Amino acid sequence: MFDNSDDAVERVVRQLRRPVSIDPGLDQRVMQEIAALPQSAGRPAAPARGVWRWLTGRREVRLSPLSALGIAAACAAAIVGVWRMRASLASAPDSALHGFQFVLVEPGAAQVSLVGDFNDWDATRTPMHRASGDGLWSTVVSLQPGRYRYAFLIDGRHWLADPAAPAAGDDDYGAPSSVVTVGGL
Amino acid sequence: MTHLVRRGVFVFVAATLSVARAAAQGTDPRLERLDETTRPVVIAIVDSARAAGLPVNPLVERALEGATKGAPAEMIVGAVRRLAAELGRARDALGPNASAGELTAGAAALRAGAGPDVLTRLRRARRHQSVTMALAVLTDLVARGVPVDTAATAVLALAATVRDEDLVEFRRAVERDIAIGAPPAAAASIRVNAAAREVRPGRP
Repeated sequence: MFDNSDDAVERVVRQLRRPVSIDPGLDQRVMQEIAALPQSAGRPAAPARGVWRWLTGRREVRLSPLSALGIAAACAAAIVGVWRMRASLASAPDSALHGFQFVLVEPGAAQVSLVGDFNDWDATRTPMHRASGDGLWSTVVSLQPGRYRYAFLIDGRHWLADPAAPAAGDDDYGAPSSVVTVGGL
Repeated sequence: MTHLVRRGVFVFVAATLSVARAAAQGTDPRLERLDETTRPVVIAIVDSARAAGLPVNPLVERALEGATKGAPAEMIVGAVRRLAAELGRARDALGPNASAGELTAGAAALRAGAGPDVLTRLRRARRHQSVTMALAVLTDLVARGVPVDTAATAVLALAATVRDEDLVEFRRAVERDIAIGAPPAAAASIRVNAAAREVRPGRP
């Protein structure tokens, strides 16, 4: 009796231990049914909530030092750009340009340049034009409010202060300069 | 992994700060026109001035003026250093909120011989207006031969009540008088009295 009973148990166990073949499409069917179900029993999750969860969820960020430098350079450029834009906007009300005409009578000159603080003392930037045949040279420069030192350069060699303007008392280089002051700053 | 992330964030922040600082305080490319002897010294002076909150453009312009005029290195460095010191004195006299234009004009007035107290009194007299033009007129009068005390007294007398345009017209009137032979001090005194009478009509 006991022996027969043991045999029966043994057969059941063997039967249970046999590998069961599962339909290969089962997983796909199950997932399709799950996807077709409502997402939750209560209210459905709004798309914004999912985005918020994605944004606020903790994530691991891995950066190489080179990548960090590249991003840093881009951020620095953006910071400097915004800073300069703000500075230019802040100065905008005071930056009204005033046109100033500079004239010089120098009949013997073949070439006259206006050189000063307003053109970085670059002798090539503001050439004066012969306004008449009797040696009158002229040019117009737009200036923002401030104090500017300048001089005329005759034929690329000789410096000449503007006889019609106040002399620059703070001349450090032995060549005379003049001063024009634009009010408003 | 957390350690890696922390190190990446540290590198990112440090690099951002250093690159931003270098970009904001980079060397002025205009100074490339200076020779190799002059450039590093001028750059050092400019950097010191910037760190002190002084305007640096006048310093750069003064160096470029020297380079264009063919001045030797020591003369350029001396001029820039002297101007930086004068800008600092002008800022001390005019206050920390003085604009770059005011400081430049103040430095020129100090060079012309005006005392720092004159700058301070002008600042008080034109508390809500720029003192650039007032200081420029003072300096221009001195350049025309008006004694600095007379010029300072005249400009201080007008500064509180007149506009920039009136100050310029006052200077032109003094220049015209000097051009036709009036002594500079007398021209300034007469014109300032006339201008004051225009501002306060009815008074002798």
